[in-house]
Amino acid sequence: MKSSSSGSFIKYILDILIGAKSLAVGMVVTARRLFKPIITVQYPYQKLTMTPNFRGHTELIRFDDTQSHRCVACGLCARICPSHAIKVQGEKDKAGSPKTGFRYVIDFSKCSHCALCVDLCPEQTLTFSKDYELVFYERWDTVFDLTARLENRS
Amino acid sequence: MLTIKTIDDSNIHQRVYQLNLGPQHPSTHGVMHFILTLDGEVVVACDPHIGYSHRGHEKMAENRTYEQYLPNPTRMDYLSGLIFNYGYCQAVEKLCGIEVPKRAEYIRVITSELNRIASHMIGIMDFVMGLGAITPFVYGWDDREQILDLLEMVCGSRLTYSYGRFGGVRNDITQEFYDGTRRFIDRMRKRLKDYHDLITGNIIFIKRSENVGVLSKETALEYGVTGPTLRGSGVPYDVRKNEPYSAYPEFEFEIPTREEGDCLARYLVRMAELEQSLNIIEQALDRLPPGPIRADVPRFITPPPGEVYFSFESARGAVGFYIVSDGSRIPYRIKVRSPSFSNVFVMSKICPGHFLADVIAIFGSIDVTVPEIDR
Amino acid sequence: MSQLIQLWNTVYAFLGHDVTAGVIGLLILLAFIPLHVVFLVWFEMKVCAHIQLRPAFMEVGPHGILQNLADGIKMIGKDLITPKLADKFLYFIAPIVIFIPAFVGYIVIPFSPNLLIKDINVGVLLIFAFSSLTVLSVLMAGWSSNNKYSLIGAVRSVAQNVAYELPLLLSTMSVVIMTNSFSMREIIEAQSPVWFVVYQPVAFILFLISTTAENNRAPFDLVEAESELVSGFHTEYTGMRFGLFFLAEYTNMVIAASMATALFLGGWRGPFLPGIVWFFIKVYFLIFVVYWIRWTFPRIRFDQLMNFAWKVMIPVALLNLIVTAVVLKVL
Repeated sequence: MKSSSSGSFIKYILDILIGAKSLAVGMVVTARRLFKPIITVQYPYQKLTMTPNFRGHTELIRFDDTQSHRCVACGLCARICPSHAIKVQGEKDKAGSPKTGFRYVIDFSKCSHCALCVDLCPEQTLTFSKDYELVFYERWDTVFDLTARLENRS
Repeated sequence: MLTIKTIDDSNIHQRVYQLNLGPQHPSTHGVMHFILTLDGEVVVACDPHIGYSHRGHEKMAENRTYEQYLPNPTRMDYLSGLIFNYGYCQAVEKLCGIEVPKRAEYIRVITSELNRIASHMIGIMDFVMGLGAITPFVYGWDDREQILDLLEMVCGSRLTYSYGRFGGVRNDITQEFYDGTRRFIDRMRKRLKDYHDLITGNIIFIKRSENVGVLSKETALEYGVTGPTLRGSGVPYDVRKNEPYSAYPEFEFEIPTREEGDCLARYLVRMAELEQSLNIIEQALDRLPPGPIRADVPRFITPPPGEVYFSFESARGAVGFYIVSDGSRIPYRIKVRSPSFSNVFVMSKICPGHFLADVIAIFGSIDVTVPEIDR
Repeated sequence: MSQLIQLWNTVYAFLGHDVTAGVIGLLILLAFIPLHVVFLVWFEMKVCAHIQLRPAFMEVGPHGILQNLADGIKMIGKDLITPKLADKFLYFIAPIVIFIPAFVGYIVIPFSPNLLIKDINVGVLLIFAFSSLTVLSVLMAGWSSNNKYSLIGAVRSVAQNVAYELPLLLSTMSVVIMTNSFSMREIIEAQSPVWFVVYQPVAFILFLISTTAENNRAPFDLVEAESELVSGFHTEYTGMRFGLFFLAEYTNMVIAASMATALFLGGWRGPFLPGIVWFFIKVYFLIFVVYWIRWTFPRIRFDQLMNFAWKVMIPVALLNLIVTAVVLKVL
């Protein structure tokens, strides 16, 4: 292979030296990183704030004029949800008046955060919360009643 | 009395043995199953078995309306999820004849290229991790984290985006995103030098990846390979240049191509593509036009009967969406042509003759996302 | 109390000075080395983490010092599973065979001018002889696991260990020629004005590379390559058996680093601090360099490894030896 002439022998030695230099350059890169501060966040002791557009679970917005949500139980969000996670019930106080949604239930274990319900609502009454620490002990706890949550939030 | 036992060689028929590079393995990126036939340590045959991640996305399309199907393309190839999302929207727009406003096109290009950089970070560093260096992988994730933070400012999610809509995008970009992207471009250009110092010049890396897994031009074209794998074998085909779509004709960028076709060439093509993506983002940010971000589209769209095939370039190659519509709100058939499906079968042609250690290197350099193979 | 002293005197008179010193020394080491290894594992994880810009463990104990102790206790409590078709006798004794010879090497290492269990006049050879037994154990582990991945790993290991023995011995010979003795104590005493690393830098680098290869550490760790062979020859081992393999790897690394300091870096020599402190500083520095190399480079492929050993390392080692011999004869 690389034995006979002196030209290839010198090339052999040069290959070894260039290879060793490349290894040393790589080690310098890691050594420099060794002395830099850490970039991770220690989760339970330090928490990050979410950006305004972050998609946590959906929630109803409280409007000033009605002191409550503006859901009219039209059912558009329930029809568009790809995972069939939303169920809305509404009631009228008398004939001819608009409906008011009194129970809005979402099965959060099926939600895929696609934002189709938020975009489609004609009253713009849905938005995303910034809540990401959602853990449950039982499967049934993933079903949220958003109207009850709205009242508890006041 | 010493009797010498000799092994009767005529009864031993088998010299090669089969090894499962099984569905569960630390370095196949996803559940990929190879059945390797080995002679000692040299591979004699390589047989990929797919289908472990089949989730039925194409069947789901037959039961959902066009808007309801929007979350699905992202989940097919989750590493370039935003590109798939836009690609589906663009296919439906082509079918219905909707025109997208300029600002929305620019925003789509900026976020697509950011997603491409993020996907390449994983693709390249997974290849290097398959060779044994774990530290560059962690450095790549640091850069990817910056990109995911930027995309979260705009899209709201970090991995499964549902941001593109028919006719444009869902909401506008903020000033924070604009400044953050500018800072990211400067930072990334400096980090690329670190990566080249740590990996590209390293003699161990060069010896491990040079002349390993050589994919000739004819084989690549026979198997329908696209993406950086094809460009590493000498064919300068990129859907963004050959069949331009969206706002790409207005930007100046090059298609990096290399002739050798080995793992090192594919790696260098991907690293060069990172720089080109940074150029595209910079040009788009400089020339971002004001205007609306979404065209006026009815709430539930009903495309005219017909069919459309729209192809675009994800981080892995050329993707194609073939949509057949029968005039109703539910598509009749959506077929997705995924690049990883064509790319992975090249393994059975180029692996024989290499060592077991090289199989991992070759698989990493082809950069396959397994759920995309079996949708 | 006086009865105990009488018992001790009879035992001492019966066994003689050497044997009691050896037994007591080994008992102390048996207690001390596993704790030391636990500390080394913590050190490696911290170095690895800070290279990767993250803190490793912070929960158990201050900065996670007790984490590996907790891991060890957990490992003792695990189920010892034997695969059904495994070769039971070999499967059982492989972890034992890899762990015990590592201890024997500690007999001849001089931690300080007075702390030396026994100074044998072929101390260097003793360490090499016993550390070569690890090859046998790796082969036993790989073969008896009845697993193709383990067998591939074990077969690679045999070839690798045999190939890298030669540069190891040849680079040690360069130092031995300079001092005319195999005994560790005399080698350290001969380094009084200047350490041997100044006279033999090439041999030092060769020695470091060879011990990294002998211990199956990266970048030569294709025996237990995580990306390819899941876990190599110790894939099928669980619980404390795996713990023994793990301990043996780090113990061998400490012996190798101690040999390197004794042969090249002057052992316990140093200005102000006591000898044993200097010894440990140098050992930890070398181990830190080994960790640093591990977390930077990718792995070498098997045939390139053998090429490197036979075509690069052995010619350079032979050349070094010849030049040393010629210079010593001429001067």
